[in-house]
Amino acid sequence: MTTVTLAAVVRDDFSAPFFEAAAEGRLLLRYSPSQDTWSEPAALVCSTTQAADLEWREAAGTGHLVTWTVKPGRRRDDVVTPDTVIGIVELDEGPWLSVQLPECDPAGLAVGRAVRIGFVQPEGSEHLPVGHVV
Amino acid sequence: MSAAIVGLGMTEMGKVYGRTATQFAVEAISRAAEDAGLSLADIDGLYVNPGVKNDTDLRLQSALQMRDTRVLATIQGFGSSAGQMVQYAAMAIEAGMADVVACVYADAPLKEGKRSSDAYPGQARAMVGVGSLPFAAGLKAAPERYAVAARRHMETYGTTSEQFGAVAVAARQWAAMNPAAQMRDPLTLEDHQASRMIADPLRLLDCCLVSNGAVAIIVTSADRAATLRQPPVHVWGWGQAHPGYVQHRDSQFGLVTGAAKSGPDALKMAGVSVDEVDLRQLYDCFTFTTLVTLEDYGFCAKGEGGEFVASGALAPGGSHPTNTGGGELSSFYMWGMTPLSEAVIQARGQAGERQVDRHDVVMVSGNGGVLDFHSTLILSPHRKGR
Repeated sequence: MTTVTLAAVVRDDFSAPFFEAAAEGRLLLRYSPSQDTWSEPAALVCSTTQAADLEWREAAGTGHLVTWTVKPGRRRDDVVTPDTVIGIVELDEGPWLSVQLPECDPAGLAVGRAVRIGFVQPEGSEHLPVGHVV
Repeated sequence: MSAAIVGLGMTEMGKVYGRTATQFAVEAISRAAEDAGLSLADIDGLYVNPGVKNDTDLRLQSALQMRDTRVLATIQGFGSSAGQMVQYAAMAIEAGMADVVACVYADAPLKEGKRSSDAYPGQARAMVGVGSLPFAAGLKAAPERYAVAARRHMETYGTTSEQFGAVAVAARQWAAMNPAAQMRDPLTLEDHQASRMIADPLRLLDCCLVSNGAVAIIVTSADRAATLRQPPVHVWGWGQAHPGYVQHRDSQFGLVTGAAKSGPDALKMAGVSVDEVDLRQLYDCFTFTTLVTLEDYGFCAKGEGGEFVASGALAPGGSHPTNTGGGELSSFYMWGMTPLSEAVIQARGQAGERQVDRHDVVMVSGNGGVLDFHSTLILSPHRKGR
């Protein structure tokens, strides 16, 4: 089993709605009403049509695993860090989200495994998404 | 008119401390000019590719005491930069904007007493906003970012770690014959499999070296090249392709790279087929990069890169000699100048013990970002239309 070792992230004006929702356990993505298309949270224009009319919209928070890596834990300068698993999750709406997959067995991972997005709050950080393999 | 590479200058590379990127760059360009039989005063164009540290730029002109420079720019296409610089130099010469263009890569990321892994700690960015989410999750430095690409290829096509290892072993076999290579000790597949995991599935011996130093080349017209000191290396064709991997369900990230477009474009411009390529000098920041580039250039079918490299095709005596100087994995890491410099050496027939007999058509790749940016060159010792 692996743990979560997320770095702290702070908000800016653009991301404030995302992190407000994250604190409530809701995942927001960028959505184009004119194109009915979804894009990743950082998108400034639509990922598929390049439409500019993006707004925040709540996503289902579910998807499946596209790929992953396991970073082995290290002992360095007497500081021990645990193994971490980082995955790219394709959300049901289409966008990809790179998240840590805490408390998963790396040997059990496979492309297509269902993932549910949750949130954790590292010290000094906004709430950040993580993926729970289900 | 067409262009040719007429000068090659390489500094000492590797764990070389106490010198700045600018100092390395000046030495490399001076050596390249001397190699060509030119003086620094003959150079009227300069393209500068700083590495990750960005410690040098177009102000290198001042360090070289150059005056009245006709084309001058910092080129930053990451690992695709060397190929890009040759392309822009060739076009500048073709357009009459310049006569003799120097192209240089220089970087000094290694610091004495510090680990190589400290040289490229990942993107230095403030953790602000949603753009920081992948970084905060741990996709920081190149190994983990390439690891997710390699894992996707493995899961899709059945590619294995042992097949990545075959790339590392072949590179080391070539490096053993290259006096300039940093790593020349014998390497076995067992060594590869026993090397520590950096970011699964990539092990230590799947990763390139980190080097201080500089490499420069000089480009001029084919006509002028014929009057100079070294055998010209003619630029037959080129291409660029930058896939733009969107974070979305149709992304080919990890499966298809820019090589799939820039390779055929370069071959078409050169007027040759992939089957006519004698030598491959490929950007090998990781073993996986070599494998996927071979697929995308068409040396084997998509998804069959693993079997292809495991066949021994790349190694000395193999059917497809590749990275004959040892590449970035075993020789030195000068971004795209690593494959380009070896291409020039082989095309000239100056590779000594590792010289490949058939070297009429040499294909050179440059890969930057995480497979995001790609350039291709087709080089030959013969003038185009031979």
